[in-house]
Amino acid sequence: MSNNEISILQVLEDKLRGKSVQIVPGQLGTASVKTSAGPHRDVIKALVDADEKTAITSITGIDLGTNIGVFYHVRTSNAFLTIQVELPKEKPQIQTINDIAPSAALHELEVSDLLGVEFEGNPRSGHFVLPENWPDGVYPLRKDVKASEVKLNPPSPEVKSDEGNLVKIIIGPQHPALLEPEKFAVLVEGETVKAVEPRIGYVHRGVEKASEARTYLQDVYLVERICGICNSCHATAFVESVEKILKTEVPPRGKYIRTIILEVNRLHSHLLTLGHAGLEIGYETLFQYFWRDREPIMDITEILTGNRVISSSIAIGGVRRDVKETDVPKIKTVLNDLRKKLPFYTQLYRDEPSIRARMQNVGVLKREDALKLGVVGPVARGSNVNIDVRKDEPYEAYGEIPFKVITKDACDTWARMNVRMDEVEESIKIIEYALDNMPSGPYRVKTPRVVPAGEAVNRVEAPRGELFYYVKSNGTAFPERVKVRTPTFANIPAFLTTAIGESIADVPPNFVSLDPCFSCTDR
Amino acid sequence: MKKITTWARVKSPWVIHFNSGACNGCDIEIVALLTPKYDVERFGIKLEPAPRQADVLLVTGGVTHQCAERLKRIYDQMPQPKFVVAIGACACSGGVFQGAYGILGGVDKILPVNAYIPGCPPRPEALIDGVVKLLNALQAPPAPAPVQEKASSAPKAEVIESEAQKVEEAKSDVKQ
Repeated sequence: MSNNEISILQVLEDKLRGKSVQIVPGQLGTASVKTSAGPHRDVIKALVDADEKTAITSITGIDLGTNIGVFYHVRTSNAFLTIQVELPKEKPQIQTINDIAPSAALHELEVSDLLGVEFEGNPRSGHFVLPENWPDGVYPLRKDVKASEVKLNPPSPEVKSDEGNLVKIIIGPQHPALLEPEKFAVLVEGETVKAVEPRIGYVHRGVEKASEARTYLQDVYLVERICGICNSCHATAFVESVEKILKTEVPPRGKYIRTIILEVNRLHSHLLTLGHAGLEIGYETLFQYFWRDREPIMDITEILTGNRVISSSIAIGGVRRDVKETDVPKIKTVLNDLRKKLPFYTQLYRDEPSIRARMQNVGVLKREDALKLGVVGPVARGSNVNIDVRKDEPYEAYGEIPFKVITKDACDTWARMNVRMDEVEESIKIIEYALDNMPSGPYRVKTPRVVPAGEAVNRVEAPRGELFYYVKSNGTAFPERVKVRTPTFANIPAFLTTAIGESIADVPPNFVSLDPCFSCTDR
Repeated sequence: MKKITTWARVKSPWVIHFNSGACNGCDIEIVALLTPKYDVERFGIKLEPAPRQADVLLVTGGVTHQCAERLKRIYDQMPQPKFVVAIGACACSGGVFQGAYGILGGVDKILPVNAYIPGCPPRPEALIDGVVKLLNALQAPPAPAPVQEKASSAPKAEVIESEAQKVEEAKSDVKQ
C-alpha cells in the first residue's frame, strides 16, 4: 500500500471518528467501509472533500437474503473504496448522495429500477432500463424472481406530452446516426437545444441475471457478448475478478498476450470511432479511409485469436492460445503500415478546416465539470483530467510497459477525438514493446471449476474508459452476483449537460465524441 | 412489369439495418461490408435509413422486449414485397442470451424470416453469401404455379410488360 492510499484511509478515520463506521483495509479495492444508511453520506462527503478526482464508479445492488446490500464503489486519484450499506428487504430506503456526488444520479436510478431500492431525493418516474410495460413490483435482480416467469403487460400507447413553445425532436430508436437502438428526445427552441431526455434500455437483455444461471466458464462467453467492440476488455475484467477470488496468478507470458489482445481491441475501436465521427459531420471520405485501414487490424485479431470480432481468447487462468513466432513479423508489418499512415490522419484531425469547423468549441466540458460528473476514458482525458486505469492501477503487463497517458486541454469534441488519434500511436507502441519483450514459459494455468466463496472488484481501461466489474461467489460453480458498470454509462451525463444551449446540428458530433456504446450501457 | 421489378430488386436491393438488442459485433460487420475492403455496393446493395424505401430488412440481435414493437413497426412500414434476413446467432435463436429475461429469443418469434445467417458474428463473406443467396432465390423461376392467376388479369400483365419493354428499348436507343 502506498503512502497516498494510507493517507486517504487516515483522512477517513479522522473525519469519521465516533460514527458507526468500520474500515477494513485490503477488501474490495483499497478498503471497504461498512456503515449504515445515514452515515454513508458522511463517508462520501469526506471522500469528495479530500480529493478532487473522487467519483462514484458504480452502485451495486445485491440481494443478500433478508437484506438488500447497496455498495457504493468510489474511486479517488489513487485509491478505490467500497462503501457497504445494508437495508431491510421489506422497505429498502436510503437517502440519495446525488447532491454530494452528482456522478451517482444514473446509478441510483438503475439500482432503483432493478432492485426496488428507493433513493429519497432522487425519485424515479417510469422505468429507467426496463421496458415500460414491465410489471410493477417485480425487480429482476432479486433472487426470488425467476427470469422465465416474468409476464409483461400489454404495451401501452405512447403518451404525447405538451412542451409549450419547445419542439421535441426524437432521435432514435432506429436512426441512421445511431448504429444501436436508443432514444433521445431533444427539446429545441428554434435551433437551440433546451433539454435532452434520454431513454435507454432498448438493448437491455438482462445479462447480469443471466450470468447467475451459468457457470463461470460459460459466463466468460456471455460477458464478452455484452459488447462486440470491446469484447476482450469485458472478458479480461471478468476473469481477473474471478482470478482474484481464486487467488490465481496468471503466468507472465499469459499477461503479455492479454495486453496485446486488449491493445488490438483498442486500436480497432478507436479507428472505428474516428471514422464514424467523420460520417456524423458529413465527411464520408474520412469514414471510408479509417474503415479501410481498420481492416488489417481485424486481420491481426484473427491471427491472434482465430476470429475477427468476438475473440473468446481470454480464459480464466491465462489465454486460450499462444502467439506463434511465425505470426510476429506479420503483425509487425501491419502495425508498421498503419504507423506510416498516422501522420496524415493526425494532421487531418488537427488542421482540416471542415473538422475544426464542426468539432471545435462543440460540446465543451470544462475540467471541473468533468471531475464533478465523474466521466471516464478519452472524454475525461480530453478535458485534461489525467485518469487511466492502466497507469493508476496497472493490471496485466501494463506496469512493465512504458507508455504515455494522452490528455488535451481544449475540452471540446475536437480534443476528445484527438486524444483517440494520439492513443492509436501509443497502442501501436505498446503492442510492439510487448511482442519484443514477451517472456517465455506457459501462457495458462489450470483453475478449478468451483470457485470458493468470496467477492472481488476489478477495473480495466476499455477503449471508452474505465470498465468496472464486481463478482461475488457463493462457493459453487455459479456466481452469486455479477455487476458490470460500463464506461458509456458514466459518460452519458456529459452529453446531457454539454448539449444544452448548443445548436441541434451540433448534437451528432458531440454525441459521437463520447464513443457511445449502448450494448454496454444496457447490458 | 414483374420481370423489371425483379430485375431491379435483384440488381439493386436497398437494405435497412435494425439492431434489436445485439452486442454490436454483427452491426460492425455490416458496416464493414459497406467499406472499401468488402464494398457490397458493387452488387448494388445500398444501405437505406428509411424503412419506406427499403426492400430487405437486416435484423441483428435476439429482440428485446422494448425493441419488439419498434421492429414490427419498421417491418409494417416497408413496402411489399419485403424480405427479412436474421443476422447472427442471436437473431436466429437468441444465441448466448437464451433464457435472459429481456430477450424474446429470435427474430422469427415476431416476423417471418426469409434467410438466416448464423455465426457470432458471421464473417462479412458469410453475410455477402447470405444476401446473394436470397437474391438468387428471388431471381429463380417461380415454383410451378404456386398462385393461380385469373384469366382476366393475365393479358393485362402482358400489356404492361410489353410497354415496359418498349420503354427499355427506348432507353437503350437513347444511350446508343
